[in-house]
Amino acid sequence: MSMYQVKPVCGGDMKVDLPTCMYTLPNVHAQQGGGCGDHALQNGEVDPALKALEARQDEIMRKLYELKAAVDGLAKTVTTPDADLDATTLSQSPAAAAFTGTADLDSLLGKDLGALRDIVINANPASPPLSLLVLHGLLCQRYRVLSSVHVHSSVSSVPPQLLSCLGPRHTESYTRHRFQLGFTLIWKDVPKLQMKFNTQSMCSIEGEANVARFLFRLLAADPQDAVTATQVDSWVDMAMFQLAEGGSKEQAAVLRSLNSALGRSPWLLGQELTLADIVCACCLLRAGQAASPPANVHRWLQSCRNLGHFDCVYPLLQ
Amino acid sequence: MTKEQVTGAAEEEQQAQSKKALKKQQKEAEKAAKKAEKQAKLAAEQQTADEDDFAKDRYGVSAMVQSQEKVDRTLVRVQELTPHRGGQLVWVRARIHTSRAKGKQCFLVLRQQQFNVQALVAVGDRASKQMVKFAANITKESIVDVEAVVQTVEQKIESCSQQDVELHIERIFVISQAEPRLPLQLEDAVRPETEGEEEGRATVNQDTKLDNRVIDLRTTTSQAIFRLQSGVCQLFRDTLINKGFVEIQTPKIISAASEGGANVFTVSYFKTSAYLAQSPQLYKQMCICADFDKVFCVGPVFRAEDSNTHRHLTEFVGLDIEMAFNYHYHEVIDSITDTMVQIFKGLRDHFQTEIQTVGKQYPSEPFKFLEPTLRLEYREAVAMLRAAGVEMGDEEDLSTPNEKLLGRLVKEKYDTDFYVLDKYPLAVRPFYTMPDPNNPKYSNSYDMFMRGEEILSGAQRVHDAQLLTERALHHGIDLEKIKAYIDSFRYGAPPHAGGGIGLERVTMLYLGLHNVRQTSMFPRDPKRLTP
Repeated sequence: MSMYQVKPVCGGDMKVDLPTCMYTLPNVHAQQGGGCGDHALQNGEVDPALKALEARQDEIMRKLYELKAAVDGLAKTVTTPDADLDATTLSQSPAAAAFTGTADLDSLLGKDLGALRDIVINANPASPPLSLLVLHGLLCQRYRVLSSVHVHSSVSSVPPQLLSCLGPRHTESYTRHRFQLGFTLIWKDVPKLQMKFNTQSMCSIEGEANVARFLFRLLAADPQDAVTATQVDSWVDMAMFQLAEGGSKEQAAVLRSLNSALGRSPWLLGQELTLADIVCACCLLRAGQAASPPANVHRWLQSCRNLGHFDCVYPLLQ
Repeated sequence: MTKEQVTGAAEEEQQAQSKKALKKQQKEAEKAAKKAEKQAKLAAEQQTADEDDFAKDRYGVSAMVQSQEKVDRTLVRVQELTPHRGGQLVWVRARIHTSRAKGKQCFLVLRQQQFNVQALVAVGDRASKQMVKFAANITKESIVDVEAVVQTVEQKIESCSQQDVELHIERIFVISQAEPRLPLQLEDAVRPETEGEEEGRATVNQDTKLDNRVIDLRTTTSQAIFRLQSGVCQLFRDTLINKGFVEIQTPKIISAASEGGANVFTVSYFKTSAYLAQSPQLYKQMCICADFDKVFCVGPVFRAEDSNTHRHLTEFVGLDIEMAFNYHYHEVIDSITDTMVQIFKGLRDHFQTEIQTVGKQYPSEPFKFLEPTLRLEYREAVAMLRAAGVEMGDEEDLSTPNEKLLGRLVKEKYDTDFYVLDKYPLAVRPFYTMPDPNNPKYSNSYDMFMRGEEILSGAQRVHDAQLLTERALHHGIDLEKIKAYIDSFRYGAPPHAGGGIGLERVTMLYLGLHNVRQTSMFPRDPKRLTP
């Protein structure tokens, strides 16, 4: 016996009609036969609706072209890998950057004695140190640098492009003490490039590679871990000894290793420009191998050029 | 014991006497014999001399040249006696530097200024024995006229400047004879000090050289030094004329001392006295105010400083520059340093022979410089000196040892012997120096150094009469004495700057010599007034 009983509300044998089509539309083609006669388009006149369509199409094409041009422009900067050396300092405001600059110099070069800290480089005009010119440009961006070029009496004359290789004379060059760093380049008859800084406490540094290492450290952009630092040194040495001074076989071997390294990353050691890229590029350009380099090397040289730091180098290559 | 003895004694005496007399006679006889021999020999020689002197008219002492006749003869310079004249018969006038007789030959070295050549008189068909003897006896330093054949030699004659040729003399005449005893020997005067010490040979000390300046100036070293000095003067003039400067001559007798009265010479001037100018400063500036714009002057400077140092003279030749500028006195510094660099370049390129000649007696490092000239600031110099261990204040002047040390430090770092030190402290400069606009402790003044010694002191001058008066009062100078000087700025004066160098000091430092008297022809110092 059930507890509750309820009478059925509706009959149990209702028939439900389930639909087979979700949406229904009127048949467009059903009016075909009768529609042709109504529209008199066969004699060459253009339907205003079609005109409007064409106009819209043209407009869209124009916008597409503009977009393509803009994208091309961006592609140049996008395909050139990001070359921010020290993103932390460069993104700060200029005043703060100058302050950290002085602090860095004090820690790197010793206490400021109230006088211009002058770096003196003696170079032979027969083989200009291209990588040092690039590093000079980088230094000028970071510090207030007083640059000057002199010709020593041991050299009778020097081509004019070597006299202007450090750029135009600074307008405030008459007040030496307002500058943080001095960069004095002397064209002299020396067998090997040498740098003098503090003759009382430092002996002179010889060789373009070593001076380049010193100047790069002033930018406070040295890689911090030992592995990368060693790789940078290895590339620098390879450039100076095998690319610049080696025979054609050695140069070809270096080009191959450059090519393979650049296949893996936009710069030689990853995502950032390092000393290795600067020195290798300069040695490559000077050795004249840049005429028909392998694809990756070519792309990489192009990136270097796009950076703008290498502009001072090209006039000296002719 | 008596007569017999006496007789005996007398006999002995007689015998002794006769022995003595005999000896005496013998001696006399020997003497006479010798004399006779000699006379005979002389007679024989005389005969031979008279007989064999076929070259009598090819040598001798000429009559004094009183312009008796105009001889149309070309005298060849010793400098031009080179192999390309081989075989030619030439006339040469030169001095006898040395002569050495060897039997039938006499070797002479003939000298003309810096050049000398070996000459030979040999007994032959052109020269007789008497001629060779005459040539050997000509005193040193005599001036001779020589006709000779230029002969090339296979082995180089190292001791002469003309190493590839030799003169074979056919005629030799003495034009001016020198006294036999010379106060100093030229080889000794040219000998380097070190060689003299090591090998025990004689050298001549400076006082002797200066006392006999006429002979000392004949040495190759002196000839080279003063030719180079002439070159310095000439290059100075040429460079400045090319830059548009005007040469002026300023008075040396002035009425009042311009820079403090301590170091002036007084001369009696009719009923009053006047002074000899210490520098052309006042007049240079007046020329600038007179619109000459860029001036220079070359003339004597008189300083009555009782300093007996290696670099001070009481009278020297001053080369002074003054220039009006547009906006900054560095324009003037650039002009002056460019002039100095042009002088150094001219000396380096055209006077190498002279530099090498001086280097033989006084060896030194070649002079190095940079173009454009290195310019350091005074505080940089102080920092460099402090780093080297010297203690000095910020506004202290540089003492001479500090200047030398600074010169060495700059040479070590920049490898230059010439540089400019800018922005000296105001306290150590004269009253007419313009103060630095940004820092009253410093001034717009500069010094230039060669081999660590100061050669030029210059500054931007105060061109405003009022500021000048203030500065003069500050220095405690009597305004009445400099009234004329201040007045010259009252009628519109352009901003100007300049400086002056001493010719003798610049030559001395360029060649690396150690005493300014070597570069002054007839030097004047507190102890020397002649020659």
